[in-house]
Amino acid sequence: MPEELSKLPKPQMRRLLYGQIRKNLILTGISVTIAGLYMRLVFGDGNKREYAEFYKNYDINKEFHRIRRKGLFDSCDPNDDAE
Amino acid sequence: MFRTTAVRVHSLVKGALNISKPSVTTTRFMSSHSTETDEQFDARYENFFNRKDIDGWEIRQGINDLCGHDLVPEPKIVVAALKACRRVNDYALAIRILEAVKDKCGGKVNEIYPYIIQEVRPTLTELGIDTPEELGYDKPELALQSVYDIH
Repeated sequence: MPEELSKLPKPQMRRLLYGQIRKNLILTGISVTIAGLYMRLVFGDGNKREYAEFYKNYDINKEFHRIRRKGLFDSCDPNDDAE
Repeated sequence: MFRTTAVRVHSLVKGALNISKPSVTTTRFMSSHSTETDEQFDARYENFFNRKDIDGWEIRQGINDLCGHDLVPEPKIVVAALKACRRVNDYALAIRILEAVKDKCGGKVNEIYPYIIQEVRPTLTELGIDTPEELGYDKPELALQSVYDIH
């Protein structure tokens, strides 16, 4: 007597491509949202904050004399003790 | 100029009087949403392949249309197609239909294809059709063992 082989159950046979496309679109939406939120909140706002803090107490005159004393300006005397 | 209009009117009239071949789908210039249920769809294709006077061209057209849909053909449609191949004495077409059904499974070949072969096996034995695997057609021709696997 041939032994009873277990019969395979009926798998999902319709709309396979539809399901694949839908899954891909959902994953695309999620990754786009995550990427967008990261770029705005972490990257963008972080950079803006860094710039704001740099320029909050920025004294351009002090910076000018600091660079001048290093001899980096061609038209300014590095040994002039003004300020 | 009168000759060209006469030729065009003649071809229009000839087209209007044409009797169209019985095809599985009727050509309609409408949107793609249909109100057909799955069972009606299956029944339409099964009845098409079960026609007694079907010929090889129409079997191929039917299978081609069937493969254009986002589904794997139901076993009963495959059975009807194989019996149609038997009626037109085309064994190669029967093997090709099985290969096409395997291709339609996409990524889920290992789930769907064994199920279909299991359901179709009685017809395969009745008509004496081998599966592509039994004929060795699922592997490339001259499939040699890789030299790196030989010890």
